Amino acid sequence: MSRMTIPIGPQHPALKEPVAFLLTVEGERIVESALRIGYVHRGIERIFQRRTYVQSVHLAERVCGICSHVHSTAYCQGVEALLGLEVPPRGLYVRTLLCELERVHSHLLWLGVLASNLGFETIFMYTWRDREIVLDIMEELSGGRVAHAVNVIGGVRVDVAPDQVRSILAQLDELGRQVEAFVGVIEHERTFQARTRGVGYLSADEIRRYCVVGPVARASGVDVDLRRDAPYAVYDRLDFRVVVAHEGDVWARTMVRILETVESLSLCRQLLVGLPDGPLVSRAPRRVPSGEVVSRCEAPRGELLYYVRSDGSDRPARVKVRTPTLTTLITLPKQLQDVNTADAFTVLSGVDLCIACADR
Amino acid sequence: MRDLLSALFALFIFPGFGFLFACALAFQWIDRQVTARLQGRVGPPWFQPLADFIKLMAKEDVLPHGAHSWACAALPMVSLAAVLTAAMYVPVGRRAASAFEGDLIVVLFLLSLPALAYFLAGWLSASVFSVVGGNRALLQYFSYEVPFLMALGGPAILCSSWSVSSIVVQQSEAMWMVFVQPVGFLLAFVGLIGKLKRSPFDIPKAKSEIVAGPLTEFSGRKLALWHLVIHVQTVVGVFLLTDVFLGGGGIGIGIELGFLSVLVFGAKALLILLALSIAGALYTRLRIDQLVSLGWRVLAPLALAQMLVTIWMGA
Amino acid sequence: MKLDALLEALQEAFPFKELNPRPVPVGETFITLPPDCLHRAVGLLVERFDLRHLSAITGEDVGDEIVLLYHFWDNQGLTLRTALRRAEARIATVTDLIPGAALYEREVSEMLGVTFEGHPGPQVLLLPDDWDDEPPSYPLRQRQEEDS
Repeated sequence: MSRMTIPIGPQHPALKEPVAFLLTVEGERIVESALRIGYVHRGIERIFQRRTYVQSVHLAERVCGICSHVHSTAYCQGVEALLGLEVPPRGLYVRTLLCELERVHSHLLWLGVLASNLGFETIFMYTWRDREIVLDIMEELSGGRVAHAVNVIGGVRVDVAPDQVRSILAQLDELGRQVEAFVGVIEHERTFQARTRGVGYLSADEIRRYCVVGPVARASGVDVDLRRDAPYAVYDRLDFRVVVAHEGDVWARTMVRILETVESLSLCRQLLVGLPDGPLVSRAPRRVPSGEVVSRCEAPRGELLYYVRSDGSDRPARVKVRTPTLTTLITLPKQLQDVNTADAFTVLSGVDLCIACADR
Repeated sequence: MRDLLSALFALFIFPGFGFLFACALAFQWIDRQVTARLQGRVGPPWFQPLADFIKLMAKEDVLPHGAHSWACAALPMVSLAAVLTAAMYVPVGRRAASAFEGDLIVVLFLLSLPALAYFLAGWLSASVFSVVGGNRALLQYFSYEVPFLMALGGPAILCSSWSVSSIVVQQSEAMWMVFVQPVGFLLAFVGLIGKLKRSPFDIPKAKSEIVAGPLTEFSGRKLALWHLVIHVQTVVGVFLLTDVFLGGGGIGIGIELGFLSVLVFGAKALLILLALSIAGALYTRLRIDQLVSLGWRVLAPLALAQMLVTIWMGA
Repeated sequence: MKLDALLEALQEAFPFKELNPRPVPVGETFITLPPDCLHRAVGLLVERFDLRHLSAITGEDVGDEIVLLYHFWDNQGLTLRTALRRAEARIATVTDLIPGAALYEREVSEMLGVTFEGHPGPQVLLLPDDWDDEPPSYPLRQRQEEDS
């Protein structure tokens, strides 16, 4: 049978961000795939070197739209470590709350995108409708649905009022009910399982060889989660379980993410109920003493690393950002080998690509 | 003169082009409303399908280099002619515009022409996505068409007639075919979903995979015509199922209803349309190999078994 | 991670090199190595200590040298620091030991002009296909003119 090249991207209905996959197919089977990223490369690491530490908080948030808060968290944590600055507990609680709300948002959005790409429009509509609940909560807290601008060096700039706590808890309960329904769909709906089970399998050994992180790694049985292994913010004071599956396919990744969403909702409740009194921020000096720091956070897609080196001035000498999507991108040619064309889209949706993160 | 006028009326007004066009728009609106409500949305206003059609007719009509321009222009027109002609033999209410012994076979043949034209449109469009869509359309055709034909042949055998109008009349004297051949009805229904390329069998035009399948490169008037073909095919397919299995415009106890039969017919057709919309919202799109497997491992054997039982019962 | 055993093994493997292990926030340990020893050190980490998770490879132009940092992670952070001379920015690839390093090395290579010898597919990762200035320019290298 003759070979055909199907270009997926940079513009394609299945992709939310520009990235190019060139699939060479024989009939309906993929024989070769090539990956090209860099369409949204903005040179952010270079821009970091020309901005002050304060301006860089703003910049770190703009690396990615959907995990903006965890980026600024990783950056601020790093700079706070360089300054030897301790963030007050209330500030840490609010910071963690936004991290978990963002995780809920990211997973719900991703589930909708997966469902839409699979042709399951109904679930896409439902998840994106329920995502509005978490967006409303984040807007109530920070004034922004997606770009929160909550972190400052030394703490956070927004507070949670007592009546807000009550209303947010009620909204979280409503969202929790909807998420439980989605868990039921993913566990039991037969056509969904027919499309996702056995697709895009990665063994635990391959995960470790390619240094994959996040839900993709946890879906193949690799039990790693920075919130538990290297607790930052207030994760050492919170009670949650790390969701691990063993099937290693897209279905397992979906289960991991939706169960993680359930855990995140529980974490949000713990944070709101246990919010301590006190100030939100410790004052930070403009100049950071020279030194270097490696700051890691668990973003919705996995381990996010920020390396910051300071030379004693008010601008960082070097900020390195390593986002989790880069680790999953490298597994895609392997996952797409000998796969059905339709399954290719399942695979691409299953790894939850955040190209803005990968390109920076 | 009167015959000529009544023939022209039947051809152009009712149950001809005008009625079919209005039904196509109405069915589309109902389908979109039901799907929207199931998905927690509001749905489009009643004039949306008409607005979409007018908008598309006014848009620029371009085809890529290397596409057969005259073939791509002719294919939707041929398909539209085919489904409109098929509609002539499908009774709406009391009787069809025309009927003769064997018109069921003609209707089924005419209704399968658009599938071939769809595949050709993909093949001749000079776009990778269209070719893949066309391939899938053809594979899908071979999976649903055989069970569909066999399921519709069951009532014909039981009624000893290959005319749709005759099958309708016989059902109003005896019993609706859906009660005599429930398996056949189910098979015909599933086959209809495949024929109309609706979810969960919307594989050839998988929006999120191959953009729009065979129709990716169509735009403007050609695309408006293609959409009209798909929607008139929906109407004719639903009408056909209503006639063959649900007793058409009658209510099965031998009463001649006159004009009310159209309303009864409409109610039954709406039931089938509702079922189509609900089925579309409930499931994930299947993969083409899963559909082929379903068609040949489940649907075709069931249809064959049912056909054999029908013949044995009739003998 | 058995950090002490690891440091001991590294010192044993490179007896004449000053490793200078020092703690770095947050929970990280930095070790300095010369470039020609890096591949062997990574081999030791992977084979003897099963330390396979390479989080990132940071590159920085500090004027007279290009510094590479290999950040490893196993419940604790361990970073191997090595410095390359600007005129001779070459180092052996670690993709034979850790396939996951492929994209990180490509990025350092295109941003700083470091050649990773033996890399299976050293194309540009983030830069456009037509980024081929003559003489070649590397976005993260320091420039002479003052930045705004």
